[in-house]
Amino acid sequence: MIRIGFVVNPYAGMGGAVGLKGTDGRVQEAIDRGAVRESPVKAIRFLSGITRRDIHFFTAGGEMGEDELVAAKLPHTCLYHPDRSYSDEETITTTAADTSAACQEFIKNNCDIIIFCGGDGTARDVYSCTGAETPILGIPTGVKIYSGVFATSPESAARLLSQWNGSSCTDGEVMDVDEEEYRKGNLNTRLFGFAKIPSSSIPCQSCKQISCGDDRQATEEIASFITEIMRDDTLYLLGAGSTTGAVAERLGISHTILGVDAIFQGRIVGSDLNEKQILSLLGHYNRVKIILSPIGAQGFILGRGNQQISHHVLARTGTDALIVVATEAKLRNTKSLYIDTGNPEMNGLFGDTIQVICGYRMAIRARLNKEIILSGSVPGG
Amino acid sequence: MNTKILLDENEIPKKWYNIQADLKTPLDPPMHPQTKKPVGPADLEPIFPKELIKQEMCQDRYIDIPEEVRDIYTLWRPSPLFRAHRLEKILKTPAKIYYKYEGGSPPGSHKPNTAIAQAYYNMKEGIERIATETGAGQWGSSLAFATQLFGMECKVYMVRGSYDQKPYRKMMMQTWGATCVPSPSPDTNSGRAILAKDPDTPGSLGIAISEAVEDAATHDNTNYSLGSVLNHVCLHQTIIGQEAQKQLDMVDEKADIVIASAGGGSNLAGLCFPFVKDKIDGKNPDLEVIAVEPSACPSLTKGMFAYDFGDVAGLTPLLKMFTLGHDFIPPSIHAGGLRYHGMAPLVSRLHADQLIDSTSVYQNEVFDAAVMFARAEGIIPAPESAHAIRVAIDKALECKKTGEAKTILFNNSGHGHFDLSSYEGYFAGSLVDYEYPADLIAESLKKLPVMS
Repeated sequence: MIRIGFVVNPYAGMGGAVGLKGTDGRVQEAIDRGAVRESPVKAIRFLSGITRRDIHFFTAGGEMGEDELVAAKLPHTCLYHPDRSYSDEETITTTAADTSAACQEFIKNNCDIIIFCGGDGTARDVYSCTGAETPILGIPTGVKIYSGVFATSPESAARLLSQWNGSSCTDGEVMDVDEEEYRKGNLNTRLFGFAKIPSSSIPCQSCKQISCGDDRQATEEIASFITEIMRDDTLYLLGAGSTTGAVAERLGISHTILGVDAIFQGRIVGSDLNEKQILSLLGHYNRVKIILSPIGAQGFILGRGNQQISHHVLARTGTDALIVVATEAKLRNTKSLYIDTGNPEMNGLFGDTIQVICGYRMAIRARLNKEIILSGSVPGG
Repeated sequence: MNTKILLDENEIPKKWYNIQADLKTPLDPPMHPQTKKPVGPADLEPIFPKELIKQEMCQDRYIDIPEEVRDIYTLWRPSPLFRAHRLEKILKTPAKIYYKYEGGSPPGSHKPNTAIAQAYYNMKEGIERIATETGAGQWGSSLAFATQLFGMECKVYMVRGSYDQKPYRKMMMQTWGATCVPSPSPDTNSGRAILAKDPDTPGSLGIAISEAVEDAATHDNTNYSLGSVLNHVCLHQTIIGQEAQKQLDMVDEKADIVIASAGGGSNLAGLCFPFVKDKIDGKNPDLEVIAVEPSACPSLTKGMFAYDFGDVAGLTPLLKMFTLGHDFIPPSIHAGGLRYHGMAPLVSRLHADQLIDSTSVYQNEVFDAAVMFARAEGIIPAPESAHAIRVAIDKALECKKTGEAKTILFNNSGHGHFDLSSYEGYFAGSLVDYEYPADLIAESLKKLPVMS
């Protein structure tokens, strides 16, 4: 029996339709502008798509999940009741604090996974409770979906849950988007952390041989290969993430999981570097390689969460300095890979495909998209 | 103009063509895995019959095909040469596309051409049992078919991933009386060692070879048999190219481009070697011969020409060949087959001497071609064979641009009826385009993947 914590942010997505580019801190304004709730409908779409019966839901009262589970006629236990759990369409009743409180209850009650309906803000609230311990999965109902913890649709979340073996997981990035800047048309993202997300245990393709390898083993294989090809005459800039982290671990050095480190001859020569520090460091080394992993489901290799690898940096190193690494499980959750250096000319120097190291002495040719859409509709989401 | 160009049974070649007699540069000798000294016939006798060892080292240009072997060949040979009229029409190419179809053999591929010969020579020398390995099952089922015709036992170590996912190949082997076990197995020391380290391993061809070689070396009256790579295997397959030459003569055609897929190299050798002879002899000096490999395992295209083991455990002699390293295991979910780390020494030598070109293709492009071919010509090709089809189509499209009416010949080495799950993956959009990151590997001179 899989124990599922299920929480709905009833206001997620409301800001998008009424031109607010996000609902954080603007719920009342969205309501006043006549926004309707999108989360409940999508939550019910998710619940209706679930085919397995060996699950039990734990949820929060009223519009935070209970209503939807009742509508879908699925067995559940309500563990948390917000102060004002029922409302009409014109009043704010629940907040981020309620999401967090519900998640704390789910964790206390040993839920195997927390599934939430919301956007990046909700993902951040949920992840703040779970850390990298309890797996999470987002049903995209928010305006901004830049984190790598979301399924592509309510139906795909249902399918993923139906196929999940209860333990297979991979990493998903939780992104922190500056909403005020976003409303001005500037996408300013910061990597907030790495959550555990479920990965499907079904084979990703029919084949002559066997099903997909284990994600952890693949990460180790990537790390093994990268450390094998590292040269003593080369400075390596190691980007954020657990895949790149495995490289550092294999080298026996500590790595800034959310930042960029510099490594030379197996030793750290710069930690958590910003763009200026990187540019300064480049002056001291003739040969540089940049090892990056794409950001979760959104697939950004450059431009989200690692803006310190700027087009100024790439102009110095050359685009062929890039070594992209990702496990196949991560790529399966990533429809397209994106490059957004902030400089169209620099973007144009990349080809239509890019090599992604996915194992020991093995890579995948992946399609590369350089047309970035800055709107509520997320590329690849 | 006929679609099928057919030979009579009495036109099955009476001799195999041995390209060793015509090599510009002689082959480097195989080396003993321990002593690193050239292997002599006596070193190979524990696992191979004398006649095959003789063929392995023979310098005679032609070697007689025994009458008993030719008699069995008549079950499906001569194989038809097709003119791909419908494919040409779809491509709107002035090129003339021909293909030799080997999928009509009982096991459905070119493999029994050598399986029959190997089983025969073993039987003649009193061997009662043969051990072998198989990946996708084409070779295992071919040897199972061959051994039962001579009343011999056959033990097949089948890569576990395939064993689990391809029940029909396993059942074919059973039907023909062979014992098929998943590899790694608890039946051998090398299998047990790998299982102890990783009980859930999907296995690999290199591991299965180690098990089969060990089985042959440790069981009475048992020999080992390999379905590709070795000289005698390439030799037996030359019946394909010799027939194709006669068939092209029947329609007054001369090949401009000859194409075959290349995993271990035997299907390429089979079609191409008789044509390479014409190139060496100056009869067809401009002939283009192309080996097509998967991007995931491009030993000729991206590998090194060096001595390497034929298996993972390092039990086989060291062979001078293009290799990605004997410890290289292509992704187990690669759907296109052709997953061997090395290439036949004969094919490698001809590539080094610039008589055979090579190219590598991504598997989605291979399946694009396979589906186009199936819809035009009807035959659903094996993914391996579809590598050749991909490049044949590309060459025909080049002809369309240049207006040249070149004659293109490729080896359609087998049908894909047991590979439909790979097609399913293609249609679902879930096939991944793997590639061997040669540039990254080459940039580091540390830890070269091969023995020197």
